[in-house]
Amino acid sequence: MADDAPLLEARDIVVAFGSFRAVDGASLAIRKGEIIGLIGPNGAGKSTFFNCLAGERQPASGSIMLRGRDVTRASPEDHALLGLARSWQVPAVFDDMSVHENVMVGAFLRHPHAAEAAAAADQVIDFTGLRPVARARSGSLGTPARKRLEIARALATEPEILLLDEALAGLTPTEVRAAIDLVRQIHARGITLVIVEHVMEVILSLAHRAVVFNQGKVIAQGAPRDVVQDPGVIEAYLGRSLSRKPPA
Amino acid sequence: MSAATIPTAPRAAGRWVLGVAALAALLAWPLLVEDEFIQRIGALVMLSALSASAWNLVGGYAGQISIGHVLFFGCGAYASLLGFTWFEWAPILGAPFGIATSLLLALIVGSPTLRLKGHYFSMATIALAELARIVVVNTPALGGAVGVSGPAMPRSVLDLSFISPLPYYYIFGSVLAVLLLFTWWMSRGRMGFYLRAIRGQERAARSLGVPAQRYKLFALLVSAAFTSLTGSLYAAMLGFVDPDSGLGILLSVKMVIAAALGGAGTLFGPLVGSAILVPLEEMTNAAFGGGGTGITYVVYGAIIVLISRFAPGGLAEIWTWLRARGTRRGG
Amino acid sequence: MILAQVVLNGFLVGAVYALFSSGLTLIWGMMNVVNFAHGDFVMIAMYVAFVAFTMLHLGPAIFVPLAAIMLFLLGVLVYYALVRHVMRGPMLAQILGTFGLALVLRYATLWVFSANFVSLPENLLGEVQTFAGLRLEPSRVAAGLAALGLTIGLHLLLTHTALGSRLLAVAEDRSAAMLVGIRPDPMQALAWGLGAACTGVAGALIALFFYITPTVGESLALIAFVVVCLGGFGSVPGALVAGLAIGIIESLSAFWIGPAFKDLVVFILFLAVLWFRPQGLLGKA
Repeated sequence: MADDAPLLEARDIVVAFGSFRAVDGASLAIRKGEIIGLIGPNGAGKSTFFNCLAGERQPASGSIMLRGRDVTRASPEDHALLGLARSWQVPAVFDDMSVHENVMVGAFLRHPHAAEAAAAADQVIDFTGLRPVARARSGSLGTPARKRLEIARALATEPEILLLDEALAGLTPTEVRAAIDLVRQIHARGITLVIVEHVMEVILSLAHRAVVFNQGKVIAQGAPRDVVQDPGVIEAYLGRSLSRKPPA
Repeated sequence: MSAATIPTAPRAAGRWVLGVAALAALLAWPLLVEDEFIQRIGALVMLSALSASAWNLVGGYAGQISIGHVLFFGCGAYASLLGFTWFEWAPILGAPFGIATSLLLALIVGSPTLRLKGHYFSMATIALAELARIVVVNTPALGGAVGVSGPAMPRSVLDLSFISPLPYYYIFGSVLAVLLLFTWWMSRGRMGFYLRAIRGQERAARSLGVPAQRYKLFALLVSAAFTSLTGSLYAAMLGFVDPDSGLGILLSVKMVIAAALGGAGTLFGPLVGSAILVPLEEMTNAAFGGGGTGITYVVYGAIIVLISRFAPGGLAEIWTWLRARGTRRGG
Repeated sequence: MILAQVVLNGFLVGAVYALFSSGLTLIWGMMNVVNFAHGDFVMIAMYVAFVAFTMLHLGPAIFVPLAAIMLFLLGVLVYYALVRHVMRGPMLAQILGTFGLALVLRYATLWVFSANFVSLPENLLGEVQTFAGLRLEPSRVAAGLAALGLTIGLHLLLTHTALGSRLLAVAEDRSAAMLVGIRPDPMQALAWGLGAACTGVAGALIALFFYITPTVGESLALIAFVVVCLGGFGSVPGALVAGLAIGIIESLSAFWIGPAFKDLVVFILFLAVLWFRPQGLLGKA
C-alpha cells in the first residue's frame, strides 16, 4: 500500500430503502492522520453513509476500501480486525459489566489473554480519564461517562481509524470542551478520525476537512470555515444559520 | 483483573476456606442422611443443576434464551435407550452417539436460529423441540408415543443401574463439577467476556471485533453436548424415556427456571436454583400425589413471573443487593 | 368434493386463528413484546364458554361476549401488573414473564378441571346441514364467519377511528405520541385488553367445535406465532390472510399426510419463514 493511498475510501455508495435513496452515489477518501467532519441536515444520509463506512450496513452498490482491502461486504468484526473502530449515537455500553470489563472486551481483540487485556484496558482507562469509575457498573453511569466509555472501548481495539457518531451530542459546554480535548489527544496518537456531529463549533475547531451531505450526496467538502460559507451548503440548511443549534 | 479487583489476602483465604467447606459438605451430606427419598432428591438436584448449567452457557452467559434445549436432552436420553433396544448396549454407551447427534443438530439448526434475535430465537427453539417431539411420537422405530426402556435387570455395573441413589448423586455431581470448572475457566477469559458482550449489545460487540455468530455457536455446541450427556445419565437412572419425559417442553422450561431463579449467567445460579426447585417439586408431588403436577407448575410459573417482575437477575441479584446494603451499613 | 370440504373446514378454523393471532400481532407490533401466554388466554376463554354453558346454562350469545369482557380485563391486568415492568427489562425477564404466566394459567386450569378433554355439544347451534354437497356444521360456520367479521372489524377499528389512530400513533413512535399528548400507558393497556379480548372471542367461538383441555393453549400459541410471522408483525390484514392460509394448509396436510402431521407442516413452515424471511412473508422488507 502506497503511503499516499487513502486509509479509507468509499466510492459511489448507494443505499436505498425501497424507492428512497438515503445515500445516492456518495464518495469520500480519507487519508491517514486526517480529522474528517461529516455534517448535513437531518435525513441527509450522513448517518447511513457512516454506517456503511463502519461496516454496519452494506451498500446496494459502490465499494469501500480499508487499508487497501475491499471491505464493502465485510462484517463489522472484520472491520474491527482491520483497525476500524466506532462509537454509537445512542451509547451501547454493556450495562451488566463494569467500566473496566467493557474496555476489556475491546482490548481482547489484540490481547487474547485476560491478564494482558486487563493491563491494556487499564492504560486506555487512564488515558480517557475513566479511572475514578473503572469499577462501577456501566449501567449506572450518566450520559457523559457512557459516551466516554464508548470511545475508550473503541480505543482499546487499537484502531488506525476511529469513527465517532455524535459522540458529543447531549453534553454540556464544559463536557464538550473536555471531549474535544480527548479527541485531540486521540489524534495526537496518530489515529485518523471521522466525526459525525451536529454541533458546528466542534467541526470548526476539530476537523481538517468538513464533508457536507444533502439528499444522499456529498454537496461540498473542504476546510470547515470555507464550507460553512458555501451558498449550496447554506441552501441545504434552508437558510438556517450554521450555529450551534442542531437543525430540528 | 486489575490490581484493584484482587481481594485482599485474608478475604481470599476466607473464600478458599468457605469453598473447601462447601465442597466437603456437598460430598459428605448424602452419606450422613440415611433417608433414600432425600438422597434421591439430592441426585435429582445434581441432574437438574447439570442441565440448567449447560443451558446457562447459551441462555445465561450469551443471553440467547433457548426454550428448546430439551431437543438435546432428548437426543441423549433416546440414544442411550435406543442403543440398548437395538444392540443391547449398556445405556451409557449410547451417550457419545447422543452427543454426536446433538452436536450435528446444533450445527445444522444452530446457525440459522442463532441469527434470530430475542423473542424470535426463543420461538424458533420451541418450534424445533416440538418438531422433534412430533417426529418421535409418529416414528415407531423410535418408540413412538409409548417410549423406550432400558434393561429390566442390571447386567453389569456399566448399566449404571443402582438401587441406592448415592452412586447417581456422585456421578452427576462429578459431571457437574467438570462443567462448572469449564464454565468458570471460560467466564474469566476472552470467551466469557465476549459472550456477556453479545448478551449486552450484540451490534456493539461485533463492532469491537467480537465474531458473535461464531461464539454463540460454540457456546451452543458445548451446551448441547452437556445437555445431551445429562439426558443419557437421566435415561440410565430412570431406565425409561417417552416423548413427554424426554422431549416435552416443560423440561426445557425447568432448565430455564432453575437457572433464572438462581441467577442466569452466574456460575452457581443453576445449582442454587435446582437446590430450591427440585425439592419443592418432589415435595408437592409427594404431598398431592398425581394431582400435584398441576400445583408444582403453578408454583413454578408464579416463581418465574415474580423473578422477571422483581429480580430479573435471580437470587444472585438479590444476594448482591443485600451484600451491598450490608457493606454500606457497616461503613 | 371432499377437497372442497377440507378447504372449507380449514378456512373456517383459519378465521378463528386469524382472530386470536390478530390479538397477538396487535400487542407485538405495538410494543415489541411477545405474549407467550397468548394460547393460554384462548384456552381460558374456552373454559369460560364451557363453564358458562354447562354450569350456568348460558348460550353462545351470552358466553362469547362474556369471554371477551373477562379476557379484556385479564389483558389489562396483565399489562399493568407485569408487562409494563418487564417490557424494557432484560430479554430473559421479557420472555419469562409471560411464559411464567402461561404456566400459571395452564396448570391452575389443569388443577381445577383435570387434564380430561371436554367439549360443548356439537349441535349447540343446530343440526348439520348439507348444501351443494358440502357438510355445514352450524357451530363451525358461525364461529368462522363471526371470527372473520370481527377480525375485519378490528382492522377497521384501528384504521378508521380516532381511538385506532391513537393506538397506532403510540405503536409508531412512543415519544412522538407523548409529545402530541397521548399517554402511552393507557393506550398500551388498551392494546393488551383488545388483544386479549380477541383471544376471548376466538376461544369462546372455537370452543363450539374444538376439544377443550388445559394444554390446548400450547399448540394454539405456536399457531399464533406462525400466523404473526407469516403475516408480518403488527399487521391485522396480514394476520387475517396468514390465519386463513394456515387453517387451510393444516386441514390439507391432515387430509393428505395424516392428522398427526398437521402440526409438523405448520412448524416447518414457521421455521422456514423465521430462517429465510424473518420480516414475514407479507411483511415489508
